Amino acid sequence: MFNKTIYKIAAFLLFFPFQMMAAVDSDFLRSTGKIYSVVVVIAILFIGIVISLVRLERRIKEMEKSDINE
Amino acid sequence: MDILKNHWYKILAVLLILYVLIVGMITPLKTGITNVAPDRFMAGQGLKISVTGYNSHYQSSDDYQAWIKFDSTHHVAANNMQVIDENHIEFTFGIPDDLPFDSDYGYASLILNSEMDGPSVLPDKLYFEKSTSKASGFNWSKEAIKLDPSDKGFKFPYRNILNETIRNTFFHVAIWFAMFFLMILSLIHSIFYLSNNKFVQDIKASSYADIAIIFGLIGLATGSVWAKYTWGTWWTADVKLNMTAIAMLIYCAYWVLRGSIPDVDNKARISAVYNIFAFAMLIPLIFVIPRMTDSLHPGNGGNPALGGEDLDNRLRAIFYPAIIGYSMLGYWIASLNIRVKKLRDKLFL
Repeated sequence: MFNKTIYKIAAFLLFFPFQMMAAVDSDFLRSTGKIYSVVVVIAILFIGIVISLVRLERRIKEMEKSDINE
Repeated sequence: MDILKNHWYKILAVLLILYVLIVGMITPLKTGITNVAPDRFMAGQGLKISVTGYNSHYQSSDDYQAWIKFDSTHHVAANNMQVIDENHIEFTFGIPDDLPFDSDYGYASLILNSEMDGPSVLPDKLYFEKSTSKASGFNWSKEAIKLDPSDKGFKFPYRNILNETIRNTFFHVAIWFAMFFLMILSLIHSIFYLSNNKFVQDIKASSYADIAIIFGLIGLATGSVWAKYTWGTWWTADVKLNMTAIAMLIYCAYWVLRGSIPDVDNKARISAVYNIFAFAMLIPLIFVIPRMTDSLHPGNGGNPALGGEDLDNRLRAIFYPAIIGYSMLGYWIASLNIRVKKLRDKLFL
């Protein structure tokens, strides 16, 4: 579907910080061990908002295409 | 790729915001000093302090050095070091009794350095007093303070009051910038409406202003939460905060104005004029007046902006994409509103 380069760029961006994490102590993870759950939760919320926007966009496109005035 | 041609900015917005979210929250902070005990001493005596660090590797690095710095030419290096664990270390100093200041007391800074962790600073927290005893035999250090470079690895700066909340820069500050971008768009379309009287310009102006005002209220709310955890209060009588609240009230009055005029053409013209006035008030209220007087908020009178060491290049690598991402997201939501309004007000177009 999309070009492979987009997947490569996304994978690089997503996996880049994990290489840094390997060098960091577990002491820091005590404060950020739970940060992953926070990140996942906020990412889910954001993706939910994006999905609702995409559905809204599709419905508006349908309305624009139909000849009935809304 | 038809999708990319029409919807490129939406995909870019989603990707950028996800990148900001993930990298911004996962990246660790640099080493910092959270606590020093005891934090008062008298000149002319030996001093043993116990230091607590954050993200520190006191045990793993074997070359930790410490200095107490009084000013640019007077500092004392530690005589002795004892590591307790990765986050606790003790240093022994001998403070000379000929302090170079006229007053009898002041504040000194503690500087730590190692090759693994880089430098860490606790600025102006060690309270010292001149003592009456003389001839302690301690001397100032002749060697200059040599610090390892502080920009190894991808880490965010450590600031004692902010700690981890420095990550709020990508959310709170970026939202204000995105609001500004949308308000400029709204202003442009208001001016277009006044010059060529096309109703679609009024639809666009009001839609961009709607999303911009929502972003502004989000900015106020996120700033309030940030203030609670750093300043200790949800709101304070500070110039920047008050002026920004006034600017947002002026823009909320734009909503009231639009809701109160039933005639469509009148509504469009009067709200376009008001939009120009509201934007013209935004600039002095948010940018000019807070910089003319003392303020607690970073970037205004008496406070350095998030620049220098505070907004370093690592923060910028996430901060600038965040601004672009939120601006595009706001533009997308506003464009959806515009399309709905165009369908609904087809008669007037």
